[in-house]
Amino acid sequence: MSRPFPYTYISCPCADMPVPDPARKRKSRESPQKSPQKPPQKPPQKPPQKPPAEQASTDQDKKSPAKEEQHEEDDEEQTFDPRSPRSNFSLYPPEQLLYCEECHQIKCPRCITEEIVSWYCPSCLFETPSSMVRSDGNRCGRNCFNCPVCTAPLAVSTIENATGNGPQQGPWVLSCGYCLWTTLDIGIKFDKPTNIRSQLQKMTDSTAPAALDRSRQGSRAFGDLKHPLSSYASIDEPSNAREHDGEQAAPKEDPAAPPMGTDARFAALKSFYRTQIAETSNSPNDHLSSEFGFSSPGALNRLMSLYTSSSRLSGLYGGKQKPKSKPPVMREALTASEGLQVAQENNEMDMIARLQSPECGWDGMASIDQRATQSPEARFVDDLLPLPVLLRTKRAKRCKSCKHILVKPETKPQSTRFRIRLIALSYIPLPTLRPLALSSSSSLPAMAPTTDLNSLPPLRPIHVLLTLKNHMFDPVRITLATPPVTPGHVTTKVTVLSPQFEIGANSDVWDEALQGASAPLTSDSRSAVLRGVPEAGKVWDKGRNWTTVVLEVVPGTLPGSSAEGGDGNPNTETNDEDVVAVAASKQDEDVLEIPVFVHMDWDADAQLDHQNVGKGSKPDDKVTRELAYWMVLGVGRIQPSL
Amino acid sequence: MASDTPSMGASKRASATSGLRNSQTARPVSPHTPQPRSGNPSFASSTSPSSSFRSEDDAIIFEIGARWLRAGFEGNSTPTCVVGFGPEDSRRVGDYRGWIQGSIGAARLPQPVDVEEWTRAYELWRADSREVDLGLVEDKIERAFRETYNQFLLTDAGTSRLVLVLPSLMPHPLLSSLLSTLFSRWRFPSVTLLSSATMSATAAGLRSALVVDIGWAETTVTAIYEYREMTTKRSTRSMKHLMQEMGLLLTGLGSEGKQDTETADKISVGFTYCEEVVSRFAWCKPQTEDDTSSDEPDRELSIPSPTNPEEEYMDVPFSRLAKPVEKVLFAPGVPEHELDDEEKSLPLLVYNALLSLYPDARGTCMSRIVFVGGGSRIPGLRQRVLKEVSLLVDRHGWSPIRGKALERQRQRLEQLRLSARKASLEPETPKNNEEAPSTDDAPADPSKEVPEIDFVEQKLRRQNKDIPVPIQGVLREVESLGPWAGASLATSLKIRGMVEIEREKFLQHGLAGATRDIDHPIPDRRSGLKSGDRSSWTLAGWA
Repeated sequence: MSRPFPYTYISCPCADMPVPDPARKRKSRESPQKSPQKPPQKPPQKPPQKPPAEQASTDQDKKSPAKEEQHEEDDEEQTFDPRSPRSNFSLYPPEQLLYCEECHQIKCPRCITEEIVSWYCPSCLFETPSSMVRSDGNRCGRNCFNCPVCTAPLAVSTIENATGNGPQQGPWVLSCGYCLWTTLDIGIKFDKPTNIRSQLQKMTDSTAPAALDRSRQGSRAFGDLKHPLSSYASIDEPSNAREHDGEQAAPKEDPAAPPMGTDARFAALKSFYRTQIAETSNSPNDHLSSEFGFSSPGALNRLMSLYTSSSRLSGLYGGKQKPKSKPPVMREALTASEGLQVAQENNEMDMIARLQSPECGWDGMASIDQRATQSPEARFVDDLLPLPVLLRTKRAKRCKSCKHILVKPETKPQSTRFRIRLIALSYIPLPTLRPLALSSSSSLPAMAPTTDLNSLPPLRPIHVLLTLKNHMFDPVRITLATPPVTPGHVTTKVTVLSPQFEIGANSDVWDEALQGASAPLTSDSRSAVLRGVPEAGKVWDKGRNWTTVVLEVVPGTLPGSSAEGGDGNPNTETNDEDVVAVAASKQDEDVLEIPVFVHMDWDADAQLDHQNVGKGSKPDDKVTRELAYWMVLGVGRIQPSL
Repeated sequence: MASDTPSMGASKRASATSGLRNSQTARPVSPHTPQPRSGNPSFASSTSPSSSFRSEDDAIIFEIGARWLRAGFEGNSTPTCVVGFGPEDSRRVGDYRGWIQGSIGAARLPQPVDVEEWTRAYELWRADSREVDLGLVEDKIERAFRETYNQFLLTDAGTSRLVLVLPSLMPHPLLSSLLSTLFSRWRFPSVTLLSSATMSATAAGLRSALVVDIGWAETTVTAIYEYREMTTKRSTRSMKHLMQEMGLLLTGLGSEGKQDTETADKISVGFTYCEEVVSRFAWCKPQTEDDTSSDEPDRELSIPSPTNPEEEYMDVPFSRLAKPVEKVLFAPGVPEHELDDEEKSLPLLVYNALLSLYPDARGTCMSRIVFVGGGSRIPGLRQRVLKEVSLLVDRHGWSPIRGKALERQRQRLEQLRLSARKASLEPETPKNNEEAPSTDDAPADPSKEVPEIDFVEQKLRRQNKDIPVPIQGVLREVESLGPWAGASLATSLKIRGMVEIEREKFLQHGLAGATRDIDHPIPDRRSGLKSGDRSSWTLAGWA
C-alpha cells in the first residue's frame, strides 16, 4: 500500500472509544445509526483489554467465546477491519506512536493534546517570538518567500546582475529558481534586499485600488488587523478620523472608482459597524446600559424615564415637545467608504473577455492550489503575490486523559533534541515482517523460491515470518490472534502457527554474550534454516529480545478473478482485461492485510505509587501489566489471476 | 424558518455597551450623558463570564462546508487557510502515495464511475444523514481541525473560543457529531454558531439581504430582513451537479465518439482535473442564448486533454465550457412546471424567495442580492441570474398565480376594464396593480410605480431628513466578503451570537440540552444580569 511491502501498522486503541456524544446517551438505542458508532455505555477507559485467552488460539470459531460475553462486549469482539474507511484514521506506523506511562496505554496523535513551545521559520530557522506570530500572520517576517506558482523558495536577486554591475545595486527582485518566476512578472521591484516583507506590504497596500488613505492597521496584506499589544483606542482613532474623511468624500463619490481590495473593504466595514454601534448605543433611553448598577448614568436615565413616562404620554397627545428623540436605529452601509460595494456590470464581461483572450489560456489562470493561499479575489496568475513562508511550531505533547507530558522538544529551532520523548516502541514490541524464503527442500515445490510480494498468487500458501522485538527490560508474554479469514471481499486464510510465546528482556547485550556462548543467536538461526519446515506450535526462531513466529497465509482470490469460486483452477481464465479493471476499480482491494490482535503481559517493577497495591498480589514488587492492541500486517498484493 | 436566526439586532445592541468602550467618546452624535464605563471588567465578567472576560485571546473562526474548511482569527479580513476535503486527507498516516504517484484525482480514472460515487470521496458529509457514516465524519473533522491548528493557525487548540459558521440548516446528527467531536477532543470553553447567510449579509454591510449561496450540495436563497432569516428556498442545482455535468462533458470530449451506451452517464476523468477546469474556465453567458450566440466567433481554448491531463492539450470551443453551467443552474428550455420543487433553476429560486416575502421585505431584499458560495465565482453567472429574474418579474409581476385560467380571467377583466374605461377612466390604476400582472406598462414593481403619497411616510421622511432613504425596489447586487469575513467582523465587534454553547452544558446533555423555546433567550440577552442566561442555552435556528 503506502509503504513497500511488507509493512506493519498499529491501531491505536482509542479507535474503540467512540466520541462520547452526550445526546446519544439519552436517546439510548432508539436511533439506529448505521455507522459503527457504539453507544458509549461501556466505560471508555476500557479498550478491549482482556481478550479471552482461548480465543487467541487459532481455533476457527471465534464466535463462541464472544457469545458468552455480554451483549455489550459483542461489539468489541468484532475483528478490526483494516479496510473500513475509519481504520485509516486509527492506524499508525509503529514508530509514530507514543506511550503514556501513567495510563499505560498507547497514544496516537488523536489522544494527545499539543502545546506550542516555539515558532520558527523553516526557511531561515529564526525563532519568532510569540507576540509577533499573530501580527505577522503566522508567516515569516523576514526575507523568506515561496513562489506563488510552484511553492519553491524564492531568492532575492538583483536585476542588474546580468549587466555586470556590483550586486549592491538595486533594484531587487524575488526570483524562483525552479519555475523562473520573478516578481517582475507582476511588476514588483524592491529598493533594498532586506526587509522585503514590509516593502511588499507597502506596495500591495498602495497598488490596491483603495480610494481611502489606509491606515496601517486598516489594511495589511498578510498581517492581521489588530496587534495584540494595541488597545482598542489605537484602532478607533484612525478609523474615526477616516469616518470624517469619508463623510466629506461621500457625496462626491466617484461611481467609477475601482473597487476596494478585500482588506480595505473589511476595514471600512469594521469602522462603519463600530460607529454605528457607538451611535445607536448612545441613545439615552437605552435600557441595555442599565445592567451595570445604579451608579451608572444609564441606570439613572432609565429610572428617570420611568418617572417621566407619564409626561411622555401627555407629550404624545398634546405637547409639541417630545421628551426624547427616537433611539437612532442602526443602518446599513450606504457608501463605498462604509464598505458597501455594489457589483459592477462590466466587471464580469471583462473577465469573460479575458478568459477568452489568447494570452490568458490555461496557464494564465491560477490553479486551485495556488489560489488557496492567496487573497480570495485572485483568479489569474498575475494576481498571485509571493508568499511569505509559513511558520512552523515545536510542540510539546501531553496525554489527553492524564495530562502527563509525553514529548517535550527543546525550544531552539536548530536543536533536534527532546527533553522528554516517550515513544511507544520502547514499550511495545516492534513488529517486522518478512516472507519466508524456503530452501529447495521445501515440502511445497510449487512455491517460488522468492516470493514477489507485489504479486502473490492466490490460493497458494505462503509463509511469512513475524518478528517481535522487545525493547523493555522485562520479558514479555505475547498472545497473537487473527481472524481465520481476513475481513473484506478477498478472504485470505491466515494461521498463526505458534500464537503464544515469550520474548526475552532487552537486557544488556553483554549478558547474552557472557551467559550464552552455548546457545547463541547464530546457532538458533542456523537450526531454523536447517529445520526448514514451519511447524504448528513451535516458535520459528528466538533471540535475546526477539522472537519470530510463522504465519501461514493462503491468499484469497479477487472478486471477478478467474479463480473465484473454483478451487483455484486456472483453466477457466476469462477476459484478462476485465480482471485487471475490476481489481483496480476498488482501490487496494487486492492488498493483503492481516489484522492481528496482540495481547502482551509482563511483570513490571512496581512503581512508587503502585507499590502498596502491588505488594499484596506479587511478592517481589512486581506488577503484572497488560496491553492489547490491533496490528495490521501488510503482506503484499494478490495477483488478479493465477 | 421564519424566526430562526440570531436576532443580531438585539444582540448587537445588547453587546454594544460592552463592545465599544472608546469609540463613543471620539465622535459624539448629540449631547448626552457620558456612557457607562462598561469596560469595568469586574462587572462585565459577572454578567457574562464566558465571553467578555475569558476570551482575551482572539476567537478562532471556522467555516465548514461539505467541501471546504476556512479557518482564521477574528478581526482578519481573510481566513488564514482554506482546506479542502478529499481522499488524500483520508489516507493513513505514513501513506505518501499521494505524493509519489501524483494526486489520484488528476489522472484519468481506470474505469468510469457513477456520478455520485465520483464525488463521494471528496465530501465531508452529505445533508442526507442516512448516507453518512457519522463516525467517519468525526474522524475527518478531528483530523482536519488538528492539522489546521498545527499547520496554519499555529496556536494551541482549545484555548480560545471557537466560532463556527454553518449553514442554517444542519442535520442534527451531523451537528451533534461535529460539536461532540470538538468538545471531547479539545477543551474549547465555548462554541458559537453563526448562520452563514446572516454573516454574508453582515460582510456586505447590509442588514437585509437576499443571500444566494451557490454551494456544493445545494443552492440556498435566504431572505434576511433586519438580520433575521425570513425564508429559505433551496435547490439541488448546485456546484456538485455542475461538477458532474462538467465531468460528463469532459468524458465525452475525451472519448471522441466511441462513447458506448453503457458508460453514457459515467465519468472517467479525474475529479481534481475536472475541478480545475470548473474553477478556471466555467463561465456563463450573461445573456440568454438567443441574443448572443450568433455575433461572437467561437474561440478555441486549449485545456489539458481529459485522456492524459499531464502531458497533452486539447482544443475545446470556449462556448462549450459555458454549457454545463447553463444546463445545470438555469435549466434552459425546461418549463417551470416540469421542475420539481427541489430542482428549481436559480432565477426561479430567487424569484420564488422574493415572492414569498412581504412586499416591504421584498422591496428591501431585491435590491440587496448577495451572491456567495463557490458558484458565485463563475463569471457571468450573477448577471445572468439577475437578468432572468427581472425577466420573470416583467412577465409575471409579483403574483404566484399562473396558468390558462388566469389568462382567460385576465382577458375577461381587460374587456371589463375596456368597457369600464369607456364609462369612466377612474378605476383603472388600482385594478391594474392588483389584477394584471402580465401587462407590460405596470408590473407590480415598486420601483416603476408612481409612489403613492402617503402622509405618514412623508412625515417620517421629514423627521429623519438626515437618514438617507434606503434604496429599494430595484434589482441590485451587492458584493459580500463572504460568510467567514462576516463572522470575523461580528466576532471582532464583540457581538455575541445567539447560539453560544458552553462546554459543560454540552457535555451534560448534548444537543438535547438546548431549550426549545426560541423566544426565551432574547430577554435574557438584553438584561444580561438574569441568571437565565447561564442556565440554559438554545440552538435557535438550528433547533
